[in-house]
Amino acid sequence: MVSRFFQLGLLFLLPLLSGCGNGDWQLSAARKNVVMIEVTSQTWDYRLPWNPGTVSSARGAGFVIDRKRIVTNAHVISGARNLTVQREADPRKYPAKVIFVAHDCDLAMIEVEDPEFYKGTSDLQFGEIPDLESVVSVYGFPIGGDRLTVTRGVVSRIDYNSYTHSGRESHLAIQIDAPINPGNSGGPVMQDNRVVGVAFQGFRGDVAQNVGYMIPTPVIRRFLKDVEDGKYDHYVDIAIRWMPLENPAMRNYYQRPNDGLGVVVTDVYSEGSSDGVLAKGDVLLAIDGHPIESDGSVRLDGQPVQLEEIVERKFAGDTVGLEVWRNQKMEKKTITLRPAEMFSMYESLYEEPPRYVLYGGLVFQPLTANLMAVLVSNADLRLRQTYTLFGQDQLYRETPEPVILSSVLPDRSNVYLTGLAGQVVREINGKRIRTLADVLPALESGGERTVIRFEGDQRPAVLKKREVDQVMPRIMTQYGISQPHRTELGGRRLAKGSWNRDGEAK
Amino acid sequence: MKHSRIIFVFWAMAGLLCAEEDSSRGSLVRVRASIQPYDQFRPWQKKSPYGLNGTGVVLPGGKVLATAALVANRTEVGLEKPGSAEKCAAEVEAIDYEANLALLQPVDRNFLKGFSGLALGPALRAGDKGEVWQLERNGEMLRNQAEILSTGVGRYPSDEAGFLVYGVRVSLPKRDDSYTLPVLKDGQLVGMMMGYDRDSQEGSAIPVPMIEHFLKDAADGKYEGFPTLGVSWSPLRDPNLREEVMAPKSGGLLLTRVNPRGTAGRAGLREGDVLISVDGFKLDEDGNYRDPLYGPTAVGNLIRTRPTVGSPAKFRISRGGKEMELTGTYDRRARDEVAIPTLQFDQAPKYFVVGGLVFQELTGAYLQEWGDKWSERAPQRLVEYFTFQQDKRPDPEKKVIFLSQVLPSPITLGYQQLSGLVLVKLNGKEIHDLAELAKCIDETKTGDLVFEFRDEPGKLVLRAEDLPAVSEKIGQAYGLPALRRL
Repeated sequence: MVSRFFQLGLLFLLPLLSGCGNGDWQLSAARKNVVMIEVTSQTWDYRLPWNPGTVSSARGAGFVIDRKRIVTNAHVISGARNLTVQREADPRKYPAKVIFVAHDCDLAMIEVEDPEFYKGTSDLQFGEIPDLESVVSVYGFPIGGDRLTVTRGVVSRIDYNSYTHSGRESHLAIQIDAPINPGNSGGPVMQDNRVVGVAFQGFRGDVAQNVGYMIPTPVIRRFLKDVEDGKYDHYVDIAIRWMPLENPAMRNYYQRPNDGLGVVVTDVYSEGSSDGVLAKGDVLLAIDGHPIESDGSVRLDGQPVQLEEIVERKFAGDTVGLEVWRNQKMEKKTITLRPAEMFSMYESLYEEPPRYVLYGGLVFQPLTANLMAVLVSNADLRLRQTYTLFGQDQLYRETPEPVILSSVLPDRSNVYLTGLAGQVVREINGKRIRTLADVLPALESGGERTVIRFEGDQRPAVLKKREVDQVMPRIMTQYGISQPHRTELGGRRLAKGSWNRDGEAK
Repeated sequence: MKHSRIIFVFWAMAGLLCAEEDSSRGSLVRVRASIQPYDQFRPWQKKSPYGLNGTGVVLPGGKVLATAALVANRTEVGLEKPGSAEKCAAEVEAIDYEANLALLQPVDRNFLKGFSGLALGPALRAGDKGEVWQLERNGEMLRNQAEILSTGVGRYPSDEAGFLVYGVRVSLPKRDDSYTLPVLKDGQLVGMMMGYDRDSQEGSAIPVPMIEHFLKDAADGKYEGFPTLGVSWSPLRDPNLREEVMAPKSGGLLLTRVNPRGTAGRAGLREGDVLISVDGFKLDEDGNYRDPLYGPTAVGNLIRTRPTVGSPAKFRISRGGKEMELTGTYDRRARDEVAIPTLQFDQAPKYFVVGGLVFQELTGAYLQEWGDKWSERAPQRLVEYFTFQQDKRPDPEKKVIFLSQVLPSPITLGYQQLSGLVLVKLNGKEIHDLAELAKCIDETKTGDLVFEFRDEPGKLVLRAEDLPAVSEKIGQAYGLPALRRL
């Protein structure tokens, strides 16, 4: 499991360039609160979705924020089955439990029941975004020893970056020029006695040197505020695409003066926050009163940031005000923000068990980032295109959750079907398959034969229902499968889709 | 018949030194081709030239047979008598990249005078013995014992469906530039080697029935090529599937896609039909027919090698349990009449540069320029258009035009990073090929040119009045010999 931390969670080591604040005091404040987290976690196997998965152990860092809660990275504790924490000053290991996890911004909150654990901790203050070139100190437990390690680095870059844990999200991240080592994820990054970030990811040494990333306080504060109501909601998304309006001919076409302001909306995602409010070709001139430069940046606290940063700091149900130039008229629009569930397919899943339907050795699974990761090496071109274009082409309107025949467990009853693994299911017994929930009812419908049709020019799979009923116990025994299907969505939310439901009912 | 994935065969380059006289054997010549492919990413230029050397078979009458791969993307082809330095330029009289065969004609018709040439021999079966001939540098002939290991339908380097191919075991002592070598039996030509693996000492050869078909087609000076059915099919072994499609008791294959423009489609065959027999040859559940010579052989040979374009086709099918006969004419329109050509050798890629925007027509050759993993590396939208051409069967007249790159210029500010965007409309009008695009732009002297793309950013705008001055400068700045090839 160390490998997971190698990929995602890394930490920083670099010499000090200039002093900052009262070093002694700062060290002691951070050292009082930083904790080592040891995790035993379980990772689902999407090749064998009925299995409980593989168990592994790893180490990360975290910090007590208010004498009762610990903040760490989501990837440190995801899939945790057992969790212990330990402070520098206390040799005892305390069992802990996960309270909130935010995979989209790689943050989590854990808690220790025993009040003894918190003795001697203090309230940590959060700082602002540190200045470029300023020095920060990083606390954690990297490989190379078991004791707390402190390193220092310079703030190198403040920009949007992808958060690799979720696989699809990008948020503000701060790059530090410190080398990175596994086992340090979740540790606090301090400046002037305040927390200015959480160390969370970097590059492997063979890719880049001295590039480490921390989650800045706007993201941490947002997480802490979000969970105040007892649950974590997803980030919201304005769900549009836009293009810079830099070209003079383009500006002229949209009848905008050469004032260096405005971007053009190039796509509005169905079911997204802006659906029905914005339209392709709208020129966005200001967001919540901040003028939008023609490259899509706005000034926030004097710093240029992408216009999405305005949305980033908001919550589901919040609104954002836009000044829109449409049909040569200025209009004011208000968008009520919500998460972009239709893209959830691209998010790696950690907690929820994989869903599947087993039918006579045929295994159906919804298309997810996790499934794609195990299929990708031999994924059919059609499957890969379905995955790649799912968001861009808004395929979710037709199929909120494409269903894949992910494998065929060989049995004497299905010898002619093994070649069909990896195909995208189009319909079963004449019923269009749009989500995994459609599969069971469709399998039960129809006559004595079940006919499964796929996208593209593959032959259909045909099975005799009576035969399937007979062979199921044998297949389940042989392959050690206790449940023939697991279809509950759990906490997942899918796109609603926009096909003609009335038409289908008839 | 799965999606096409064109396989390229590369010939290593090596300079063969040439020596001495003596060509009395009269059957083989060296073929020296100078090759220079187009640069698909910079369509106005060609890549570095290189040379290929191979062996050609002199046919009675003085023409020379070689593999097509040897002379693909040629600038010049020359013949050289073995053992002498006597050379003569040659013209390519007929070439078929699918069948990997080319017929060369020396410019000097007397060049091969005195060569007796090799006559075509009979088709071979597995187990038959023969010889593979190689030319020594000094013109001596090496006759290597060979055995036919297999006869069956297999992949050719630049074909997507499959043709009859001989598996040949032979130990070739001389390392050659190109394993374009003749296979002989009893002094007659029975095959052309087109690939060889030195480790396993096995190779593949184009069998004589293919060569016969090719030469017969080329004889009238108008080369038409091998026919194709234009279908995708699946075996029908699965009893459940047989029941579902109401297949007859035995035999037949399931048509999973029928191109309406192809031989089968125009004869009335449809998706879901069970194809029982072709021209009286019954097909078994795996798609094989019983060939009088080769025994069970894949249907591909039956429909591609045996008939010629224009010959009548007869199909027996079962549709919904009812058997019927359908007739048609063999052709290859399913292969040729496509919006995105899969094969493209020798052809200059089309392009059109306007104000720094470079437009090209999508071809298989462009996609393959992205390398072995083109389907992952090329812009996904282009891959999608190419791959799903079969599903969507777009009108062959409607080419896929895309913005391949932007040469930065004063009027492309903000557009520089764009590439791989499929063009849908210009000023609200659908555009179906590059010539049409050029015409529309040429005719617009003032005002906006609004390019609409399939994907983000959707629209790009240029001012028509800016174009003349900028286009000229771009040509100069980037050294483009021309701003268009339509």
